[in-house]
Amino acid sequence: MSSEQPSAQGLHIVGEVALGFTPPRTSYARAAYSGAEPDTQQATLLIVRPDGTAAAFSGKVEYGQGIRSGLTIEVADELRVPLEAVEVVLGDTDTTPWDMGTFGSQSTARVGLQLRRAAATAREVLLELGADHLDLPASELECHDGAVASRVNRDRSATYAELVSGRQIVRELQDDVELTAAGQFSIMGTSVPRNDAIERVTGMALYSQDIVLPGMLFARILRPPEYGAKLVDADATIAERMPGVAEVVRNEDMLAVLAESDQQAASAATVIQANWSEPASQLTQFDMPDLLLHTGRDPFLTQEAGSLEDGFRQADDVIEQTYYLPYVSNAPMEPRAAVAQWEDGRLTVWAGTQRPFGLRAELAQQLEIEESDVRVIAPEIGGGFGSKSIYPVGLEAARLARSAGRPVRVAYDRAEEMTWASVRPAALIRIKSGFMSDGRVVAWQSDGYHAGDRPFLGRRGSDTPYAIPNVRVTTYTSDSPLRTGSYRSLGGAANHFARESHMDEIAARVGLDPVDFRLRNLTHPRFRRVLEAAARMFRWSPGASPSRRGAGVALGLDVGSYVAACVQVDARGPEVRVERVSAALDCGLTVNPEGAKNQVEGSIVMGMGTALYEAIEFRGGRLLNSGFTRYRVPRMNNVPQIDVELVGEPETPSTGAGEPGIVPVAPAIANAVFDLTERRVRELPIQSHLDGSSSSEVIPG
Amino acid sequence: MIALVVNGEHCEAPAADRNLLSYLRFDLRLTGSKYGCGEGLCGACTVLVDGQPLRACMATVGAVAGGQVTTIEGLAQENALHPVQQAFIDESAMQCGYCIPGFIMTAVALLHRESEPSPAQIREALAENMCRCGTYQRIQRAVERAAAQR
Repeated sequence: MSSEQPSAQGLHIVGEVALGFTPPRTSYARAAYSGAEPDTQQATLLIVRPDGTAAAFSGKVEYGQGIRSGLTIEVADELRVPLEAVEVVLGDTDTTPWDMGTFGSQSTARVGLQLRRAAATAREVLLELGADHLDLPASELECHDGAVASRVNRDRSATYAELVSGRQIVRELQDDVELTAAGQFSIMGTSVPRNDAIERVTGMALYSQDIVLPGMLFARILRPPEYGAKLVDADATIAERMPGVAEVVRNEDMLAVLAESDQQAASAATVIQANWSEPASQLTQFDMPDLLLHTGRDPFLTQEAGSLEDGFRQADDVIEQTYYLPYVSNAPMEPRAAVAQWEDGRLTVWAGTQRPFGLRAELAQQLEIEESDVRVIAPEIGGGFGSKSIYPVGLEAARLARSAGRPVRVAYDRAEEMTWASVRPAALIRIKSGFMSDGRVVAWQSDGYHAGDRPFLGRRGSDTPYAIPNVRVTTYTSDSPLRTGSYRSLGGAANHFARESHMDEIAARVGLDPVDFRLRNLTHPRFRRVLEAAARMFRWSPGASPSRRGAGVALGLDVGSYVAACVQVDARGPEVRVERVSAALDCGLTVNPEGAKNQVEGSIVMGMGTALYEAIEFRGGRLLNSGFTRYRVPRMNNVPQIDVELVGEPETPSTGAGEPGIVPVAPAIANAVFDLTERRVRELPIQSHLDGSSSSEVIPG
Repeated sequence: MIALVVNGEHCEAPAADRNLLSYLRFDLRLTGSKYGCGEGLCGACTVLVDGQPLRACMATVGAVAGGQVTTIEGLAQENALHPVQQAFIDESAMQCGYCIPGFIMTAVALLHRESEPSPAQIREALAENMCRCGTYQRIQRAVERAAAQR
């Protein structure tokens, strides 16, 4: 399955394709796979080439996480070669191993570990080859800087190139191969510049929006004015005669102009007279809290312990509150685009999807061709934050290219990207807690209502990490007028907002410092460590809230990583300003500290946007803020000073770093606003609430 | 035909109303200038026209006829990166990288008119651009680094 076929020279390490793949049992896995399954059991994971350089292969994609750099570091370190000697090939269904998709922060945790094992296996084989070549016992040899050398006599050595050139060796990855111990890394854990940075600063990096093929037609698809609207009829006679227009395609519900240039396609599309059916819904964002609560179904118990009845009976005091988060948009900088080309019955699609193999399966199924006749290439991807698992423009481009007989490009504009991608589910979460006057929480009942038909989104992060003896956490699936989808941490950010806000309310009620209060209720050492680290970095001075200082704290867990953040806010100006954020992350072994910190910083900025400004407004199926004039995201002048510390232990296996940073941000900001103003904001975005333009009056009691 | 100079090369655009960004990206294949919003709000398409920053998505080639257009592809000279480009690498000021060419062009224009910008001036100038990955703090440091090296 590699572009460098196993018949090619060099040392090939083959391994299990779908690491950890088991037939989907949970709804999460079923939704993630969407019917896509591995096409082969084994694939080439790593090649040590005849020139001594190495290539590693993964079906993951690069969409900002820096995994190309991270995986390069892991392979180079384990193989004992310089970084420049390693090429990482990603996201191409013809040249990389099958992969379920790039989400859930699994790239370093799973693929990185697998490639390290592949590189360590290669190292073992190279030692064997070296022993033969040098006629020395393997026990006397070590790998260093691309060569096998005697520990006793450094002059006795052979480069990897000498050992593998002219030969073709295929070995299986050894699952139990000994990996380099944490103390012995030479590159891992150090700060290394990205190996794909030059392309990014010179404009040479190619994104799917940038793919231009000879003879390519530009498509402009007429989108319905709102969700649920269907095309009734259309008159395209004028459009068909416009300059540059090759064709106006009417295909079931799709109406598309194909033209020689993007501008000609867009101009022609504007003169098509199309009539659309009007969907019945007239719901707006203000109806959401009621809708969530009243349509909640399929209760799913995510956590249960003890007896709530006992807990509440024992409690000195009880608080019951409701928290609400609106729909928000992922709004990646690059709107989705795809280019499709048919050659001799074989289809190639360039698409910036997080799931190239999933898209391949979808294309084969929908176009009724074999998967082996489809190639999906994921070029550089301009952000996605989860939502680019869904990539409808791929199929649209493929259909249009087939009928036109020429390559076709379909690209969303900004409004299409905001409207036709997915939004993070709106959520309403009710929490009732019972606690003792000394601050021990003894009962915790949480009911979360998350919009949309993907229940796994809402479950993430709903469990409480506090040592509470009597707990019942339930999530429900509620109706959604908008299309919901993945977003950084899925429902984790919503569930953390509710829980960490509520914990702050208890701390204030019992008059305890918010950090001290949390520590009293935490036993898990990794939670305690991140919380203590964040407080130390922030120079947190203890005191009960509201202290008028504007300091807030929250902690959380996502994709196996522990995180805490302290924030300082100021509200003297016309709006809330976050001045400073101190965050600590424990993601175990950090392969690339700069990369991980960059991810946490970005997560904090994104979380700040959802905390303060972001909310999708809609009426019926029509988005009212599908552009950056009315959908406000953080900019340079809104950004606080952010300090990030990585406190994981190198002996602990790597967990995700791309998502957890977002989960404590909104609650820490809300808690800081309370600390400063005594106003408890239980609904996002905070700024709209403080301005009085929110839906708080309709939050059901 | 509309004559203009792009990265030092004489070019002829087909019509005055050709969108400048589309012309650069699709006719000249200079895809380093990015489409982000089409409304002049995100800055991903920023190019320099006679040294001044311009949102290419909002301009026609007619509007820049006779002008000197510089895109991200024209910034490096004789295989040496522009100091701003190098500073973005040194500060790891990127994630997905889609917005980065626009930020770099905006920063180059800032340093062109203000050789020693204060941190606040940098922040205000670059607030015209958007980075959804949230690498702002690193971008700020990169521009400060580039300014200090001049």
